[in-house]
Amino acid sequence: MIYDFFFKLTNSNFLADLIQSLLPLFIFILPFALFAVLFERKVSAHMQDRLGPMRVGYHGILQTVADILKLVQKEDIIPTLADKPLFNIAPVLVFAGSYLAFAAIPFSSAFIGSNIDLGIIFIIAASGFVVAGILMAGWSSNNKYSLLGAMRSAAQIISYEIPTVLVVLSVIMITGTTNLLTLSEMQTGHFWNWMIFGGPVMGIAKFIFIPIMIINFVIIYISTLAEVNRTPFDIPEAESELVSGYHTEYSGMKFAMFFLSEYANMFAVSAIVAALFLGGYQSPIGYLGNLFGVHWLIPIEQFFWFTAKGIFFVFVQMWLRWTLPRLRVDQLMALCWKYLIPIAFVNLLIIGLITVL
Amino acid sequence: MKEYFKNAWSGLFTVFIGMKITFKHLFVPAVTIQYPDERLQLPERERNRLYVNMDDCIGCDQCARACPVDCITIETVKGLAGEDLGKTSNGKRKALWVTKFDIDFAKCCYCQLCVFPCPTECIYMTDVFEFSELERGNLIYDFVTLTPQEREEKKSNYAKFEAEKAAEKAAAKAAPVNKPIDNQETPKQ
Amino acid sequence: MNIYDIIFYLFAAITILSAFFVVTTRNIVYSAYYLLFTFFGVAGIYVLLGADFIAIVQLIVYVGGILILLLFGVMLTNKITNVEIRSGSIQIVPAAVGVALFAGIVMASMLNTKWKNIETAMPSATTQGIGLLLIQQYAVVFELLGILLLVALIGAASMARK
Repeated sequence: MIYDFFFKLTNSNFLADLIQSLLPLFIFILPFALFAVLFERKVSAHMQDRLGPMRVGYHGILQTVADILKLVQKEDIIPTLADKPLFNIAPVLVFAGSYLAFAAIPFSSAFIGSNIDLGIIFIIAASGFVVAGILMAGWSSNNKYSLLGAMRSAAQIISYEIPTVLVVLSVIMITGTTNLLTLSEMQTGHFWNWMIFGGPVMGIAKFIFIPIMIINFVIIYISTLAEVNRTPFDIPEAESELVSGYHTEYSGMKFAMFFLSEYANMFAVSAIVAALFLGGYQSPIGYLGNLFGVHWLIPIEQFFWFTAKGIFFVFVQMWLRWTLPRLRVDQLMALCWKYLIPIAFVNLLIIGLITVL
Repeated sequence: MKEYFKNAWSGLFTVFIGMKITFKHLFVPAVTIQYPDERLQLPERERNRLYVNMDDCIGCDQCARACPVDCITIETVKGLAGEDLGKTSNGKRKALWVTKFDIDFAKCCYCQLCVFPCPTECIYMTDVFEFSELERGNLIYDFVTLTPQEREEKKSNYAKFEAEKAAEKAAAKAAPVNKPIDNQETPKQ
Repeated sequence: MNIYDIIFYLFAAITILSAFFVVTTRNIVYSAYYLLFTFFGVAGIYVLLGADFIAIVQLIVYVGGILILLLFGVMLTNKITNVEIRSGSIQIVPAAVGVALFAGIVMASMLNTKWKNIETAMPSATTQGIGLLLIQQYAVVFELLGILLLVALIGAASMARK
């Protein structure tokens, strides 16, 4: 584990803890946000037959650095009639909520922020802070658009939490664990041991699980997409009607905090989907480290596979963004309550029956 | 029930169709260009900023009269008898010093109506279209080739000439018509 | 005093201070957000007690559910565009009597209970034990609670229909 490594290095419990808890932020969230913002702009540009940012650096690779420099320099504007304390706390709370989720994400077998037993449930609980922060931002801005966006966002996150939790529950019922590290370890071997292909179950049950798990995968992907307010579920920040939702009034670094937490959330939900259904950090084809007998290489390879899966799902999120138009509120609710939740319940029942039998 | 599953299936399936289309577009070469680095070839008869070739201008004021928004202002001074103003490229003799030829591009509507009346074809449209300015005053273009001193000189030359002529005339008139002036003065008293 | 003690006092301070502000602040939205920190502090204390499942359920149910509903209620029932949402205090004397009574009971039970003093051990997973208890020993209570919630839900729905 990476904790032991830092413990040996610093010879102090506290420092090792601190470094381990800060690692996801500095080696992951910040570089990922830098990468993902540019990636999103490039993907969207090329999907619309454009080129996207091309000026800063080769093909604009330094564009986000320039953007961040701009955001740092910007004036921090607080509207006169806004509620100042809440207005200042809200971005911190939202970011803390999304950073909290990273504590339990297993990046590789040696690198997990905190190996808590209730990992996946903890991540779901952490999203509550995001909702509270979003409501706080929307209300304290004292702006109609912000408030409407925050309300929509909170309502959407809460209602789509139900199908997410149902699918997570079905996975828990098969594996019997809520620990994400154990869950990933169970899907070891090759890709047919991944949960989307029925998990490490053998025999006839596996063949019944395969279609159910694929449906479950689609459900959780859709509902997590809605939880991070991405298109086609972006009515909370619908540009054409609400300016930009709950962060309309924010500028400068506070806006950057929202932006950062949005991208962190995008990766967090992709990571959950990857960890639950696509084997987490497990390689689909075996490890080079095993092949050459270099054992320290395996965790690094696992980190690579995990980020690759996560970034792939982030890419699919962007892909969907430029494919689908925004849903109406009634369509949003119809999708959740009429399709995702009943199907997830039926799947849960079938899986429950099979696991009991 | 059947419709429910059909709905769910078509909802999912059509998303994949859409995703296929957008994925194809990911590899379509960009249709946009990197504008300041690359530029599109403008059509031959595009209408952009005007240019006046002052060597050919005879100061006939026809363009200013044709202009629907009055963005062209021309002032001319007659050339003196001894001065050689040169010829235009199509052989016309110039007779006027053009001391002012301003075009206000803030007003110009790029209608090209000034181009056709020009007898020497000295005012025409160019392909320059990037000439934004921070102040509106900078959009008034001065096309006159004479320096300000020269303009003043031409004006004063002509004024002097006029004055001389007037003085001459006055002198010529003064001799025979001395009394009528007195006559005119007398009724007032 | 090791680091866990410091963390405990931190969480305790957060809980008590924010709970105090929940009661005293006049702005309803502020008190709702102080409640968020109270729940957070309580969850932290649960974690320190080794009750990870309860801590996380505390977060899911109270922060993710009840608090958000509360905020929705506050924001939807009042003039939503107005930051100045205030509450007053009424019937101070009966409230003081009630609080004094309750505080007395809590103090008495605190002082009269023989607290178990277990050596600190690495907390083990509690989820499975809780699940087994809920399904086996307390199955009837569990089901009754479920029915109670269902009744509340149906009642709310029928009231909303009128």
